[in-house]
Amino acid sequence: MTAAREAIVLPILLITVSLLGGLHPAARIAFVPPSLFCLVLSTLLVAALVRSGALDPARLLHASRSPLANANGAIVLAALFAAGAQVFELLTPGTGLPAFFVSVFFFVLLVNTLVASPDRVRLLRSLAVIFGAGLILKFVVLAGLAQPAGRMTRVLVALFDAATFGSITQDPEPASTGYLAFLTVALYLTAAALLPGSPRGGLLQTAPRMQLPEG
Amino acid sequence: MRESVVRSIGLTASLAYGALVLWLYATQPQTMAQVSGGLTSIIGAYSIDQQAFDDGLRFFRADKFPEARAAFARADRAQRDARTEFYIAYAFYREGWGRLYNDDALFRQGLTAVDAAIALAPNGRLLVDDPNLQMHSADELRAELQRGVTVDASDFNPLRVVRKRK
Repeated sequence: MTAAREAIVLPILLITVSLLGGLHPAARIAFVPPSLFCLVLSTLLVAALVRSGALDPARLLHASRSPLANANGAIVLAALFAAGAQVFELLTPGTGLPAFFVSVFFFVLLVNTLVASPDRVRLLRSLAVIFGAGLILKFVVLAGLAQPAGRMTRVLVALFDAATFGSITQDPEPASTGYLAFLTVALYLTAAALLPGSPRGGLLQTAPRMQLPEG
Repeated sequence: MRESVVRSIGLTASLAYGALVLWLYATQPQTMAQVSGGLTSIIGAYSIDQQAFDDGLRFFRADKFPEARAAFARADRAQRDARTEFYIAYAFYREGWGRLYNDDALFRQGLTAVDAAIALAPNGRLLVDDPNLQMHSADELRAELQRGVTVDASDFNPLRVVRKRK
């Protein structure tokens, strides 16, 4: 990995994700910090990146590196953690049952990814699917239901609410929020693809394998 | 370019950018004017629109309080000037003041504005040397606004109709 990528490109990308992830554009803009649960999800995400070999922390922080290089690496790791938390905050619906189920959905998918220990490419594909699903759910499905609409939509929402013993409707958001979310997720996935990976794959791939007896 | 130079530039830029993001989340500016005003005030380059401030003062002294607030808001778009916020709070007080009863909604907006003024003032101490005002400090104004929205026994004193607006 080049010094420019580690010192400039990755921090700028990840800090931008941290900024945009909590940005709620409206008549009066707001910056929403991540919830505690999003910090937990981000920790799991970083663990999954390390386990799959998509991120090798030793290539960012190591005693053999210069203090300046370690400072750059520490910033990348901190920004990666913050950006992950903000992406989850961005993709989690604000209120009601969708917030609960999407949080559980993210948690289960991340734990499953950790246990399955995919390689780098599969993990990045898996992340694209997880984030893409969250994006579609929040900014297409739920945002569609939140729009002021005709009688049929109102009946569907009322039926959902009755069937789920809770509200699924969210506060309407400006259309720009969805586009901003798409950009944020794309930037995060780009940064994840640019992270310094383990040359030999993930932790499991580098672990000594059991040898079968010959003959 | 040498690697150490690239790393130094990257470190400086990342720290500055990260500090900016933290500042945005900590201060929660709601408009681009507040963002730019906040950043310029950090380096001491923020200034209000003096013409709009003078307009606001003229309206204020003529008891045209909504017009005064509009002019003050135009003068201090970023809401970074304690003195202007003080006058906005004072305009809420004077408009909301009533001989029989006060307008609680206006008084509450006044409280918000005077709290903002106190937060912006150095060490929270704000004195405005204006002979046309009866209250010269933000603390006095805040206490008066707070009394206005609090219901107590003095609210039922018939002599309150002879009190004067400050």
